[in-house]
Amino acid sequence: MRNPLIVLALIVAAFGAVLFMPPLTSAGQARGANAQGPAYTPPKTAFGHPDLQGIWQVLDHSAAYNIEPHTAIFGVPAGQGVIVDPPHGMIPYLPGAVAKRQENFRNRLSQDPLNKCYKPGVPRITYMHFPFQILQTPQFVTFVYEYIHNTRTVYLNRKTHLEGLDFWNGDSIGRWEGNTLVVDVADFNDQTWFDASGNYHSEALHVEERYTRSDPDTIMYEVSITDPKVFSRPWKMSMLLYRHKEKNFRILEYECHAYAEDAAKEQSR
Amino acid sequence: MRNGLPGSIVIMAAGVAIVSVASLSIPVQGGQQPPAQQGGAGRGGPGRGGAPAPPAGPAKRLPGGKPDMTGYWAGGPGGLANIRAAITEVGGQPAPQDPASRIPYQPWAAAKAQQNSVNLYEEPELHCFLSGVPSQTYRQFGFQIVQTPDYMLAVNEFMGAVRHIPTDGRPHIPDSIKLFNGDSVGHWEGDTLVVETTNNNDRTWLDNFGNVHSDALVVIERWTPVDANNIQYEATLTDPKAYTAPFKIAGTYRRAQINDPAYEQMEFACVEGNQDIQHYTDVVGGTAKPGPSAAPPGSEAPVPAGGRGGRGGGPPRGGAPPGPPQ
Repeated sequence: MRNPLIVLALIVAAFGAVLFMPPLTSAGQARGANAQGPAYTPPKTAFGHPDLQGIWQVLDHSAAYNIEPHTAIFGVPAGQGVIVDPPHGMIPYLPGAVAKRQENFRNRLSQDPLNKCYKPGVPRITYMHFPFQILQTPQFVTFVYEYIHNTRTVYLNRKTHLEGLDFWNGDSIGRWEGNTLVVDVADFNDQTWFDASGNYHSEALHVEERYTRSDPDTIMYEVSITDPKVFSRPWKMSMLLYRHKEKNFRILEYECHAYAEDAAKEQSR
Repeated sequence: MRNGLPGSIVIMAAGVAIVSVASLSIPVQGGQQPPAQQGGAGRGGPGRGGAPAPPAGPAKRLPGGKPDMTGYWAGGPGGLANIRAAITEVGGQPAPQDPASRIPYQPWAAAKAQQNSVNLYEEPELHCFLSGVPSQTYRQFGFQIVQTPDYMLAVNEFMGAVRHIPTDGRPHIPDSIKLFNGDSVGHWEGDTLVVETTNNNDRTWLDNFGNVHSDALVVIERWTPVDANNIQYEATLTDPKAYTAPFKIAGTYRRAQINDPAYEQMEFACVEGNQDIQHYTDVVGGTAKPGPSAAPPGSEAPVPAGGRGGRGGGPPRGGAPPGPPQ
């Protein structure tokens, strides 16, 4: 590097990046569900895995509308957002990627994949207005969601992702780290959104979910998002999943496309 | 990467064009399996033909001692092409020789079934509907059972359909709730899981031939694992609105993909690539005019049916290729 000015500039830039990059561990104390109490020791399944089984749902539905902090608008309650890193709670879009988000927002009624009854993708399916159930076996963990009977299998025995395929809900492989189920999700398409406000990703999306029982009736749900085509850096969400304790609660059906057909028929009458 | 997977995906995409055709047989991943037995469940076939089945051993057990049916299954009573072929008893008597007279229809239901059989474009699966019980269990590609001591899921690759069968002694949900796959509750009688399914809607068919039921349908299934690889299955259908007597179907589910331990069910995107519905008239749910989107008219560029294509470039898996359904 012959030009000392360039070297200096690089050093300053590197320092700047370090100085202004918040340490990941302390990010987002004010937001999201990351209050860390004393570690809770969950019960174990018969085969010795931490027990995540039950029917779960988020309580703060505002993330389904917009995962970023937002003021209420017609039909959308205000919310503090669920992004804990970066600490300001906003998605670190690449400069060139913001316009598409804004376009998505303007056209959300027609372009939101959920308004076409498409699969929501991961992690959006976790914090929708619908419950989901977790079942565990020694070899895999099954997530079954009420929303259009979406089902995900998290394979514990497979160590690599499938090659050359893409899926609406990605390909999920998991492992236990202590009491945390860590799910690595890849092989996405670029058709799903993070919320109803048009926050989006490319097919390069890589998601890591962490499910940790935080007390008998909650799961701490942490999600790391990486997509170098759309975001300038990885970012994280955090929220609590609450157990449905109602007697005989069960997953019912929300067959979006069938009800949309019905509505279309009614309209055309 | 397992051998032959991309090929099977292509075949899948092509195959969806004819999912409504009964006794469809598609090579499983790896392309090694023989065509399915009569009545469907093609892709989940039991393994290579010719080779004698290995000794199955006793049924696996869950903690607590009940049989554990977790795994992939295929076969069963058949009946996908026409449930009449699978009917073994009518009104407690052996089924009549003539299949045509095996369903004890009320007149209105017979007329409806006849109408359906000549209007096969109305077939619920072409609308991406769940199949209903019992036909959900004999759809093509087989299904996966996921069982815990007080719960059973049956997950089909086809439509990504799922059946919930709690075995914790709970009662049925309120009668006013109607579901495509009904409300199933199970209990054990020895090693037999007895499942009662109520709360059915009247939008599903019993097969791909147009045979019907009403929302009064009650199905009682008996799942009896006879060894590690075989489940004896029977289902009794009672529907006083549509039938004059109960009738029963029966068959054996066999453990599938025994020779392919890496086998996994995959995502089935139906709505996301469905073009069939564009060929329907409004009367049967066509969307030539208003679509399922909440879009105000003119506010969106039309999405190419079949999806905009992911990395693979083709339509989403399970998406229907162009062309009229029949």
